[in-house]
Amino acid sequence: MKIHLKTALDYIKRSPFQALAALFVLTLTFFVGTMLAVLVYSSANLLAYFETRPQIIAFLKDEITPEQVSALQNRLTGDVRIKDVRYVSKEEALEIYKQATSDNPLLSELVSPTIFPASLEFSVSDLRFAQEVINEVKKEGIVDSVGFTASLGGEKTLEDVVGRLRTLTLYLRIGGGIFVGVLAGTSLLVLLVITGMRITTRRGEIEILDLIGATPAFIRSPIILEALIYSSVGAFVGWLLAFLIWLYATPSLVAYFGDIPILPKGTLNLFGLFAIILVGELLLGVGLALSGSYLAVSRARRKR
Amino acid sequence: MVKFAHVSKSFGDIKALVDVSFEVKKGEFVFITGPSGAGKTTLLKLILREILPDTGQIVFDGEDIVNLPQEKVPYLRQKIGVVFQDYKVLPERTVRENVEVPLAVTGVSSDEWEARVNQVLKLVGLHARSELFPAQLSGGELQRVSLARALVINPKLIMADEPTGNLDWETTAGVMDLFEKINKEGKTVIMATHNERIIEKYKKREIKLKEGRIIGQEKVKSEEKEEEEKEEKPKIKVKVEEV
Repeated sequence: MKIHLKTALDYIKRSPFQALAALFVLTLTFFVGTMLAVLVYSSANLLAYFETRPQIIAFLKDEITPEQVSALQNRLTGDVRIKDVRYVSKEEALEIYKQATSDNPLLSELVSPTIFPASLEFSVSDLRFAQEVINEVKKEGIVDSVGFTASLGGEKTLEDVVGRLRTLTLYLRIGGGIFVGVLAGTSLLVLLVITGMRITTRRGEIEILDLIGATPAFIRSPIILEALIYSSVGAFVGWLLAFLIWLYATPSLVAYFGDIPILPKGTLNLFGLFAIILVGELLLGVGLALSGSYLAVSRARRKR
Repeated sequence: MVKFAHVSKSFGDIKALVDVSFEVKKGEFVFITGPSGAGKTTLLKLILREILPDTGQIVFDGEDIVNLPQEKVPYLRQKIGVVFQDYKVLPERTVRENVEVPLAVTGVSSDEWEARVNQVLKLVGLHARSELFPAQLSGGELQRVSLARALVINPKLIMADEPTGNLDWETTAGVMDLFEKINKEGKTVIMATHNERIIEKYKKREIKLKEGRIIGQEKVKSEEKEEEEKEEKPKIKVKVEEV
């Protein structure tokens, strides 16, 4: 192994431009791959947040009794499509209003709890159920009206937001996947070309090794090892660059998105996500290197 | 050690070897001689399984190498040390590294490398130049690197294809002395050469080739004795009858 590693490193040192070309392409591939992996993760989280976050608010009529409220609350809690059912009294509604208008105290001074209806707030486990749940709740006798979270506007607006997010996520996954696929294909070709060139330039050496009894595996080892060095260094450097950029941007992103968990909460979890991406990329790099060099070696053997 | 039985090999219309049969015993030093194109190199290539014969049988170390599976060919070659006319040393490796390569190829533990490499480099007189690159060596020195590389794995057979073809007489004599020394230590040596001066000076068994055919072959001493005995026996019988 030591002699193979030395030979592979010698190959790299003696053809620095080939090595740089391979490293640049692989670094770019894995840099984009890392960025995209985090973007896919964030968009999925963003989508999940909006899909589960929007609360359906059933505004209750003024004349209802606590028993009626409790009965409806129990019914909703027992529904598998519905989660996080919460009763908001008139007083709590006023508090929410006050918080929402805290930048203009005059607005909150002019209102009293009596003008706010009590309500039952809840989320749906999947946005697909939202419309049918709303229709069912509207039919309840104690319910005055039903709406989505006020900050997102009406029902249609929320559907639009989630719909747009879904489309965006889908495009990001498909577009990003194609882009990374093209880059991975380019990397594979570059590895194939470099390995092929290496075999051509080392033909004399390969012939000598063959004559002194080297097995095909012995002859192939340094060439495959060289491809493995390119891909693992490329994967690591590409990942590291993307990691540093995300680290740098994390405070701003967290401040901008607030409660929306687009990145894992806590440093350890964030590092965990990047560690998983690195392991995945190293495996992908090994796969690229092995397939590229094997293709080139078998092509050279067929030529012989 | 090596046995050819009715071996023929053609390259298209060119008959490189025609019905060649001979045997080389363990510990022998044999010259394969003949002019250029006589089939010397083809013969060596057949032993090394670089090429296959059209007909005939080749046995090396008790093994039929014509029917040897391709995946076992490297292991056959690991038993043979080869010295080439054009040295075939790895130009980007030092003398020491060149000699280490066969040890790596045969899977010898790296702990043993230094001692074994030093031993053969001392034998061929290149110990002081072990860290030099081939470009820094003379032709004779390169040939000695090639010989050291062949010897380091302690092969059963040393084959040399015109090892002195590119060397002056003084250097040739030095290299030949080394081969003789190795042979005296028990190694079997098969050397292809067309150098008459070498053949005359070193007086080894000679297999003469011309246009792919053996035109002259000295017998192995033991074979000669056997045949002499066979010839003597009938004489005795005749004498008895006469009596």
